[in-house]
Amino acid sequence: MELGPIFRAMMRHRPRFLLIVVEVALTLAIVANSVSLILEARSEMTRPSGFDEENLIYVSSTPFADAFKDPNYRRQSVDSDLRALRSLPGVKAASHTTVVPWSAATMSFGPRVAGTQKESPGSQVFFVDAAILETLGVGVARGRGFTKEEYDANPAEQPLNEYEGPVLITQTLADALFPDGDALGKVLENETGGGHFTIIGIVDRFYKPAGTPEFSQSATLFPIASASERSAGYLVRTETGKADAVAADVEKALLKADDGRNVRVRTIAELRTRFHTEDRLLVAALNGVMVLLVLVTALGIVGLTSFSVAERRRQIGTRRALGATKAAILRHFLIENWLVTTVGIALGLALAYALNYGLIIWIEGTRLDWRVLAVGVAFLWTLGIASALGPALRAARVPPAIATRNV
Amino acid sequence: MLTHNLWLAWKSVRRNPILSFLIIAGIALGVAVSTSFVTVWHVLAKDPIPGKSDRLHYVRLDSWDPVQPWDEEDNAPPPLLTYQDMRAAMKSDIPVRKAAMAQTALYVYPGSPDQRPFREAVRLTFSDFFPMFDVPFQYGSGWSPAADAKPEAVTVISSELNERLFGGRDSVGERLRLADREFRIVGVLAPWRPKVLVYDMSQNPYAEPEQIFIPFNLFEPMALSATGNQITWTRVDGNTFMERARNSEMIWIGMWAEFDNAGQRQAYLDFLNAYVNEQKKAGRFQRPLNNRLTAVVDLMEEWEVVPRQAKALAVISLLFLVIAALNLIGLFLGKFLARASVVGVRRALGASRRAIFLQHLVECELIGLIGGACGLLLSLGTLALVNRYYQPAGVEEKFFTLDPGMMLAAIGFALLAGAIAGVYPAWRICSIPPARHLKNQ
Repeated sequence: MELGPIFRAMMRHRPRFLLIVVEVALTLAIVANSVSLILEARSEMTRPSGFDEENLIYVSSTPFADAFKDPNYRRQSVDSDLRALRSLPGVKAASHTTVVPWSAATMSFGPRVAGTQKESPGSQVFFVDAAILETLGVGVARGRGFTKEEYDANPAEQPLNEYEGPVLITQTLADALFPDGDALGKVLENETGGGHFTIIGIVDRFYKPAGTPEFSQSATLFPIASASERSAGYLVRTETGKADAVAADVEKALLKADDGRNVRVRTIAELRTRFHTEDRLLVAALNGVMVLLVLVTALGIVGLTSFSVAERRRQIGTRRALGATKAAILRHFLIENWLVTTVGIALGLALAYALNYGLIIWIEGTRLDWRVLAVGVAFLWTLGIASALGPALRAARVPPAIATRNV
Repeated sequence: MLTHNLWLAWKSVRRNPILSFLIIAGIALGVAVSTSFVTVWHVLAKDPIPGKSDRLHYVRLDSWDPVQPWDEEDNAPPPLLTYQDMRAAMKSDIPVRKAAMAQTALYVYPGSPDQRPFREAVRLTFSDFFPMFDVPFQYGSGWSPAADAKPEAVTVISSELNERLFGGRDSVGERLRLADREFRIVGVLAPWRPKVLVYDMSQNPYAEPEQIFIPFNLFEPMALSATGNQITWTRVDGNTFMERARNSEMIWIGMWAEFDNAGQRQAYLDFLNAYVNEQKKAGRFQRPLNNRLTAVVDLMEEWEVVPRQAKALAVISLLFLVIAALNLIGLFLGKFLARASVVGVRRALGASRRAIFLQHLVECELIGLIGGACGLLLSLGTLALVNRYYQPAGVEEKFFTLDPGMMLAAIGFALLAGAIAGVYPAWRICSIPPARHLKNQ
């Protein structure tokens, strides 16, 4: 190996090689951090809600007719709406509820174990009917869901402070309230006073975004009708792949049942897309930037290596005339490039961590995964060699005769 | 001299079109990417009400749970006020202007029978709201303080709603039924779409303003319910919203105050502290005194209004610009050194190093500016894409746009890229000893 001469030749052109080192280092730092941000955003975007969300539709009804001021009329209206929804072709289940997957708005309260003074872990509150579990497509890990009788027994819009009856809670909330397990059959109360909530079932999967991951999975479901003078909400579960088709029919069906209101229909897939707008933008933009970055870096290495070759044509010719083979010339430039790329990668590793640290303290984010860096390193090595290959081959083709000219 | 250099630069650009194209394309990419994503960040983060942002202060009182602070980390007071504290805070005459506010949703009943009633978000506030936030009017004006006090059923509507209900004509004085009450329209806004919803950043800070504004004091007589955040740490009872809100610790009202100078601000803070100390005697406000008047920009900072994704993209896009420029150094070197013999002759004929250096730097910056112009055009395309992306989140087509400041910044980016790419090659070529190249002719 002719490492010694290669190294000495490089030291004669320090700025140029330093430049490649910096390019490679910055590229590695940015690519690694971009991939890290993309992975983080993607894990957020692909997080399952636990529900059959591809086949869910949310329907909201906002009445303006005076008839809706009467609670009895509202109750009947909810029943007839549910009948209308269930009779639509392609509908599997429908529920009158305040659960809206992938919406940002949320209502919460502080349940605690009845008779204790312990601080509540906090929980989201949802009002549901007996069809909710079937509609969401979730089950109970323990216990059972609500019966129609339990739901019918409660007056609509009953305040939590006055409610005494069964509730369902999620597994996460059960674990927070009862670290020793076995929440089933236990009684909760409202932290601010009142209420007597008997846990009759633990919902196995539940995720409705509400700030932290824990809070997003903590929920208490009450079998209380939520239809008010101002609004009523329904979730509809359709047969697989029929969400869009069913959504198109809902407004007409409900307005046929009662015209004194407006009806708005959205698929949960739509709400989900909307919820992830920022993350989708980040992923798309970073993907674009990374592709351009790799192109530009490759272009830069090609440019500098070509320049390096052009400048040394006479020396190459001389070496060839003195007996160096084409392979030896090719090797010279590839090894030279490999050395520079490697130094760049070493510097890039440090820069990647520095940038990651900066992003974490200034913007928040996660620590760089070493596997992401390993892939980045392998990629840049390949990129370096591939970019240098063209100019190096050109160098190998320099005829020995050039040494005899122009001296 | 400069024009001569520019002429030389232009000739040089044309002499080697492929290389010039590559360099221009590189700079254009760098400028396009950085301009686009710095614009996204800039639109979301810039001072939303320049000239007033240090005079408008958000009012917060720490009425929260003695056992558990609102915010464990920063000890910030809760973001909203209770009804009773809002009443007390509105009593002072120290602020030049002051406006408490909340949101509700009401049914609008259009006058013509062929339009269905529809529900709209409504902002309840005080007469000072309109001058405080520089709200532009097309017809009429805001309501009077007397209308606040009474309260009168008067309303200000957006230009969009005026278009929808009255075909865009001057509707001041017309009647409009909202929920079960007839309102008199006193003002129609000019088209108004602040990028940041300065007056209510506690929910979606980039939402559109409401289409309807009515006096806050109608809340009780109309038996309304608030639609924004309502948060409480004590038991709250009552059948109607107002029964639950009137004397409870439930927080749900935002409030802004405007001051002319720091003295006024301090005086008002003293007033609020005195009120809270008085309340402490009555058993409320059991937390340490922690009342705050926070200026617009500080509040945006504290509430982390700008999405972190936008910040991260801005940082990475600027680094991309630097790398793109660094990568062009090699191309410039090749381009310049191909002319080494010409430069050698010029040097031998007496051109100074400085002249040669400047000549080449001008060439780099000219290429930088051409690339920058292309980049600016490209960034219009990128921003259109970003706007499309953001539409599901309720943003309309023209949300992210270049403003004059960003155009200047784009020129700055282009010059920076030209300088990064060009300084070293220009220095290299001017430091070539003339003799070496003369020899080879």
